[in-house]
Amino acid sequence: MKLAVVVQRYGADINGGAELHARYIAERLSRHAEVEVATTCAKDYVTWRNELPPGTEHVNGVTVRRFPVVRERDPREFGRRSQRVFEHEHSTADELAWLDSEGPSSPELVDYVSRGRFDFALLFSYRYYHSWHIARRIPDKSVLVPTAERDPAIALGIFGPVFRGVRGVMYNSHEERAMIHAATGNQEVPGVVVGVGSEVPARPDASRFRRRFDLRRPFAIYIGRIDENKGCGELFSHFQRYAATFPRGLDLVLVGSAVMPIPAHPRIHHLGFLSDEDKFDALAAADLLIMPSYFESLSMVALEAWALGRPVLANGRCDVLKGQCLRSNAGLFYESYEEFAETLYAVESNGPLHNRLGQNGRDYFNRHYAWPVIERKYLDMFARLTADRGPRPAMAPLPGWWARRRRDLAPAAERLRQLPSGAAEQHDAPPRAVAPRRRPA
Amino acid sequence: MTDMNIRSDNVDVEQIMRQIRARIREKRGVDYTEEEIRELAAVKLEQFLDPRGVRSDLLDQFRRSRATLPPAPNFAFEESTIFDSHRGLLRFIRNLFKPLLKLFFNPNPLIQALHIQSELNTRNAKREELDTLHYEVLHNLVLELTRLGIEVKNLKMRVESMSSRLDFDERRARALEGVVVYRPGAAAPLQPPAGAEPRMPAPPGGGDPSERRNRRRRRRGRRRPGDRGEGRPESGPNPSPAQPFAPQAPAAAPADIPPDRPPSDDGGPSES
Repeated sequence: MKLAVVVQRYGADINGGAELHARYIAERLSRHAEVEVATTCAKDYVTWRNELPPGTEHVNGVTVRRFPVVRERDPREFGRRSQRVFEHEHSTADELAWLDSEGPSSPELVDYVSRGRFDFALLFSYRYYHSWHIARRIPDKSVLVPTAERDPAIALGIFGPVFRGVRGVMYNSHEERAMIHAATGNQEVPGVVVGVGSEVPARPDASRFRRRFDLRRPFAIYIGRIDENKGCGELFSHFQRYAATFPRGLDLVLVGSAVMPIPAHPRIHHLGFLSDEDKFDALAAADLLIMPSYFESLSMVALEAWALGRPVLANGRCDVLKGQCLRSNAGLFYESYEEFAETLYAVESNGPLHNRLGQNGRDYFNRHYAWPVIERKYLDMFARLTADRGPRPAMAPLPGWWARRRRDLAPAAERLRQLPSGAAEQHDAPPRAVAPRRRPA
Repeated sequence: MTDMNIRSDNVDVEQIMRQIRARIREKRGVDYTEEEIRELAAVKLEQFLDPRGVRSDLLDQFRRSRATLPPAPNFAFEESTIFDSHRGLLRFIRNLFKPLLKLFFNPNPLIQALHIQSELNTRNAKREELDTLHYEVLHNLVLELTRLGIEVKNLKMRVESMSSRLDFDERRARALEGVVVYRPGAAAPLQPPAGAEPRMPAPPGGGDPSERRNRRRRRRGRRRPGDRGEGRPESGPNPSPAQPFAPQAPAAAPADIPPDRPPSDDGGPSES
């Protein structure tokens, strides 16, 4: 079996969520099939500037083929077009222009994968140029890994036919699947909730980490970009109040690059970006992981914390994290300061609760996110799709020239608000689809 | 803070969250939903409540601005205004050619609009007189809101401070309770008063202190009334009516009377 893994950026030093996800999957599947990665020459996800040489290279034993991006992203143009399609009535042509402005525009990459003799193309991140164009060119070979968050892009009309037309969808979480079903009505398309595993070391060294960073007190940890969009502002506010209430409580350790000011507080320690070894040692040394993000399609760091038997305290307004906490019984969640204080205090002060949550997390990870489980789900899906070669409805074509320019599509943000939200029940039937609404003429 | 007893092997996060939320509702007193709280928080009162944002010379500023502005001009506009003139001949000719003028355009809407504008100007001038009063009321409201805001903030700080102290005390109490080991047989023995009769050995297995006290009272009740001994029979089964107030001089304070009790001056027993 020959597989193409298509992703916007790729490399051992590229740590974006979807990109890391793609690398892990490519490396793991290369043990079972012939895998080739097709990607761009970009390293920066804001501009898509060509920084890596085009051509073929090998990364951790996987063949990687890079193609240049023909047009860098203009953030102002992208912002203007986003405003148009998310906040105002717009046309299909507006959405296509938005997709082009988002990038990374690489027609050569699309041509290569579309003409290549692959059995399946795993397309990472539904919202980018390459996924949309390749899915439309070779729908019978396309298996989408959407990595969709709850943002207005999922409610754009151009993505509905793609989700309904591809061969299969590998979801990251039950919440993501429920949201995509509701937004696009693709219940008939074969799909499975997979997620991704992680390379968790067997014996991380907590004491080495404490010695190296001179951390003597017990602490909670946050790992990720320190950004207002990730809920860090709220986390700082909550933690400062908590620290004032409990002068001898946990410290807060932050790992990751900061794009917002971090409050100067004696119990908040920022360590910057750490290597994988240090990161896992830090997780092992921590009492718990705090995930304050509002939007996640799958939190890999939460899974890693569970793999190491650490409870997670998550933002309850993030459906995915809340759903994972409920399904795993391995984490608590908060939606206000009071809940933050109560839940953090409960995990901090109640040893039996802490231990049980940690144990549940470890079991949950081994049951659903261990590599053999993930690999098996992918291989089963490929086997199922290979066996099912019956006739399939063609992907819906784009509207004609005039219809494409008619501004009668509702704002995507408005459509997103109509989608059901909340943690999904694991065994529940998926919710009914919300058809794309057109304004009356 | 919530205390949860985890006894079984299964942890139900949903149940724990229900417990935590119930506890928060109990603390808040009022069961506001999160949406309601966010709605309340979204009300932009801060700019009024923030004492730094209030201009203390608001009224003076307003008066100064009024003093510098001249009164707004106005005009009278009636149906015949545009045809008027102080020259009689000219007025006559205009009136004469008025039908001809109306043949070319209709001046009535123009006249009507200007008339309405004139009336609006008059009303506006009257209303401006009320503005001073409105500004005074607003000024007072802002001051009062500022005072209230400061007071609320102070109270909030006090409540938070007390809450943290309470939490600290609760934790300390729990920690101390965890240290103390309760042993049923370790009750503190009764201390005999100075000069009291030798204490009987406690029955095996310990005994109730009140039981021992009753036994002592029964022994005292069997003594003869005339005996001088330690302690006065306070409620003997058969006290002698002939000598109800016979002076007795106890060698020491009886065990049932608190030692710091002053001697009675109503003819009761006293040292003689």
